[in-house]
Amino acid sequence: MRFTIFQDSQIGDRKTNEDRVGYSYSRDVLLMAIADGMGGHEQGEVAAEIAVSEITRRFQQEARNKLRKPFDFLLSAIQSAHRAIVSHAVEHNLLECPRTTCVACIVQNGCVYWAHAGDSRLYVLRGGDLAAHTSDHSKVQQMIDAGILTIEAASRHPDRNKIFSCLGGVVPPQIDVGREFRLQPGDTVILSTDGFWAQIPPSILGTMVKKQTITALMPGLVGEAQRRAQGESDNVSVVAMTWENQEDANVADTNAMDDEEFASSSNSTQQLEGGPAVADDVTDDDIERAIAEIQSAIKKVPR
Amino acid sequence: MPQQANQPLPAGYVLNGYRIEKPLSSGGFSIVYLARDENGTPFAIKEYLPSSLPLRSEGVEVQITDEANLSVFRHGLKCFFEEGRALAMISHPNVVRVENFFRANETCYMVMQYVRGRTLQFHIQRHRHEFTEKFIRRLFLDLMNGLREVHANKLLHLDIKPANIFISMEGRPVLLDFGAARITLSEEAMKLKPMYTAGFAAPEHYRFKPGELGPWSDIYSVGATMYTCIAGTPPLAGDQREEKDRIIPLRSLTRQPYSDDLYAIVDECLSVDWLKRPQTAFDLQKRLNEEPVERKSVAGGFLETINKPLSKLFSR
Repeated sequence: MRFTIFQDSQIGDRKTNEDRVGYSYSRDVLLMAIADGMGGHEQGEVAAEIAVSEITRRFQQEARNKLRKPFDFLLSAIQSAHRAIVSHAVEHNLLECPRTTCVACIVQNGCVYWAHAGDSRLYVLRGGDLAAHTSDHSKVQQMIDAGILTIEAASRHPDRNKIFSCLGGVVPPQIDVGREFRLQPGDTVILSTDGFWAQIPPSILGTMVKKQTITALMPGLVGEAQRRAQGESDNVSVVAMTWENQEDANVADTNAMDDEEFASSSNSTQQLEGGPAVADDVTDDDIERAIAEIQSAIKKVPR
Repeated sequence: MPQQANQPLPAGYVLNGYRIEKPLSSGGFSIVYLARDENGTPFAIKEYLPSSLPLRSEGVEVQITDEANLSVFRHGLKCFFEEGRALAMISHPNVVRVENFFRANETCYMVMQYVRGRTLQFHIQRHRHEFTEKFIRRLFLDLMNGLREVHANKLLHLDIKPANIFISMEGRPVLLDFGAARITLSEEAMKLKPMYTAGFAAPEHYRFKPGELGPWSDIYSVGATMYTCIAGTPPLAGDQREEKDRIIPLRSLTRQPYSDDLYAIVDECLSVDWLKRPQTAFDLQKRLNEEPVERKSVAGGFLETINKPLSKLFSR
């Protein structure tokens, strides 16, 4: 698989960052997940943390190769994250169970599969347009669907933060799954929390993604989302992936990875590879090859 | 700054289209120059030049006469490539960017983005007493975003300290100088002395054994950097602490009150036992994100008040 990935989470103007983002990939499968812990409840941060780490853990356990049934995996991983949050609350005698939204997606075989609970969103952008997206489990979204509220009015509605499905809490989450969506080169999949999507409408996002690569674009947009909130910014978190031309040798190919290898970013980092180095003779060819490799890596990663 | 016995490139020398202005810094493995391209855009160019080998006494070409030295030189070059390769993969606002990489003068050069601003070291010397808890938390939270990206690319920085953290004009911390990053551990490579900065290097760094070093070693250095932000001086060197831990408690060195929580975070990062530190940059980020707990009882405050001037007396 050849793709470009970006993630960031900023605290905004809040006292804590209750958002968690993460991605992990092996040679043939990519997972991206985002969770927004709920501020009104105790330890929203903990819930978000458990959600992302539990889903990642399950992924690393099961996605050695490809996932046989990606949707089943997503449902089951999200449900087990829900159970993990509930047992955390029980273990720690919490008066109220912490809660979090969650959206997770799997990319394999050139298709993207997703599932979500709550109002963190997934967009698939193609050619500047929103090709697919999740539908929030929120009160305002229900009102929009019923035709009694416009999207414009929803962004100012007093109940815009009320959601009816989440992980943690007494009621098991309602989890919606997307359809299997075949990716074309240049398609971008973006997962974000409301701190981001409430400030940056998909139309703007689409136009900009068309012009710039995500690694060049997203850091600025994350900052812009915070600025637009004018001192009242919620936590702003994003993880985004652009599906590259699979023949493009300038983009790193996960085929170069070992069977058992995982690359992750979130709470897990890799240990320095130890072991004594073999006595080596670095030839002129080796040097030229290394330089060529670095040059191509520099060209590949947008600056 | 470790000694660099080799001659730097002269000012005005044109290297592959970049005009050298002056050396900015020199370390155990390299010299960094300020240079400009034809458009006048400034870059920081790092020249691979291990200081432990006699390589250039005159001119610009690196000359190696000794066969054994050649092997050491080339092995170190591999490490330089690893640094370049890893940095090339990282595109993150909190990590210095690599723009170009080439071979010349019988050695290699890495062209990096030149960040305008000042090092954290400069700010500590000038403005330490203005550092609020909020500023410190914010700064290190941002910096940890960069460090996470570094670790995710299987690289350890191994030389995090105020002098290697740049604060850009917009206030963005940028992690620089990966000169010590990931050095392969073989007898041959050990001839290229591992770089460390006393006070910032973790205790296990001094032994430099594979398996012991990990993200937690960088976390120690981050802790030491936070300590320095608050105290103005780095903590007692890690190897000495391992023999007998006589580190001066941070709270006895402060002029303004920080939360107990922040002291606890710094203490944890600076644990001699690496298992007691936050294990990853992400763990530290979580700790920094937590709401500071209010300062404790009156008695504690009172004790601190009388302790402070006393220990200051001893420490100076």
